[in-house]
Amino acid sequence: MAIIHDDVGRRRFLSQAVMGFGMVFGMGALGLRFLQFLLPNGAPRQPETVLIGSESRIPLGEAVPMDLGGQKILVLRTDEGVAAFSRRCTDLGCLVSWNRERGQFICPCHQGTFDKTGLNVSGPPPRPLDRLDIVKRGDQLYVNVKSA
Amino acid sequence: MAVETVKTENSDVGTGKTWVDYIQKDLPEHLEWWPYTLGAIPLTLFGILVTTGLLLTFYYVPASDQAYESVDRITHEIYLGWFVRGLHKTSVDLMILFLLFHVIRVFMTRAYQSGGELKWVSGSIVLFVTLAMGFTGYSLVYDNVSYWGMTVVTNMVGTLPIIGRPLLHLLRGGEEVSGVTLLRLYDLHTKLLPVLLGGLALGHVVTVRLLGFTTVPGSREYHQFYPEHTMKMGAVAVGLLLFMVDLVMIFPPVLGPPANLQEVASDVSPPWYFSAPFMWISLLPGPMALWSLMAGAGLFVLYPFVDRVLAERGWPMTFINGAVAATAVGAMVVLMYLDLQG
Repeated sequence: MAIIHDDVGRRRFLSQAVMGFGMVFGMGALGLRFLQFLLPNGAPRQPETVLIGSESRIPLGEAVPMDLGGQKILVLRTDEGVAAFSRRCTDLGCLVSWNRERGQFICPCHQGTFDKTGLNVSGPPPRPLDRLDIVKRGDQLYVNVKSA
Repeated sequence: MAVETVKTENSDVGTGKTWVDYIQKDLPEHLEWWPYTLGAIPLTLFGILVTTGLLLTFYYVPASDQAYESVDRITHEIYLGWFVRGLHKTSVDLMILFLLFHVIRVFMTRAYQSGGELKWVSGSIVLFVTLAMGFTGYSLVYDNVSYWGMTVVTNMVGTLPIIGRPLLHLLRGGEEVSGVTLLRLYDLHTKLLPVLLGGLALGHVVTVRLLGFTTVPGSREYHQFYPEHTMKMGAVAVGLLLFMVDLVMIFPPVLGPPANLQEVASDVSPPWYFSAPFMWISLLPGPMALWSLMAGAGLFVLYPFVDRVLAERGWPMTFINGAVAATAVGAMVVLMYLDLQG
């Protein structure tokens, strides 16, 4: 137990304070470096244009799932044209699937639904599906993705 | 069953007793009544979990391309592998179930009152760490349900403000769920969390012995801790083990289809102890669900202090606790039922 009325004195107090501060600083720096060791240092994703094939391959009213370097997308062809969406549900990251009968994207995890423009219609998703740009050169379709 | 409000007996903090004094100390006679033994059952189950878990680590491989196969081998090829895995799984289910019973008993008798707050707070942390063990454990199986469960839960952590994103990266070891994630959850499940849980459980038991058991009006101290109470605990432990052997043989562990990164499992329902919060997340829009769950958890930990404030204003806490417990259990059952239907 600490002795009450202990006359520490200025010199002793300052010496202890400086040492204490140094200890805390040193240990803190070490702890921060260890945390950095655990945190991933992922390289920033580079935008890239990927050829996904000819438009005629995709049946009308169907959405074809694709995996472009780990990025999972759905390419949907409707009367209005072709659109590409990220399959990652904006709620908690499950993969959405296209339901032809309902004309909607459906996430099986918490029943989130999106319409054919990717807009969140019902369920927990807070925002629309991420949309990817499609470039058309002749009949060939290219998608702009960010790959690792 | 009339639940009487109880008080904590005089604290032993700072009386200079040795551990022999505690072993020889008599207990209040109400500890003979079985609801007051509910805390020892999870402790026994923790022992079984450590034993079977150690056995499982000899065969389990925490790599994304081998994890599922190794669990498959444990379940179908290795001698008594299905039994060891089944015992491990059943122990978790029963541990959480009996922890909940124990919580309900403490809550209904308001045993956290006047000096017992630390017992409640330490115990509630034990409960949360046990749930974390449950989550990391079922992720290791790496079948389709556990893979997508991992994705959903880590994403949920990522939606927390400020600390969410760094914590998500810390858990996943990258942007996506990968082999690194599996290794991290494996390390949490087999190293960090068990040591933490063991320490916390020990701390909880020591806290209860130091701060004293609850006293019930009319309950005299004559029940011996040793050998009487320890004998009884031993009998409960042996009976429990026999019951579990039966359970495992009747319901051997199963294994779903392997993780499919291209297709979400058709039914992503988590184990029963997470199905109520799972359904809650499905029903409430966006961040509301997570916020309400966290507020609920915070209120749970700090309940003794809420109780004290309300009791000082003359609220009938015994009645209120009964109503709260009934509502909470009822809500859990309804949510679990909805999950089964959906």
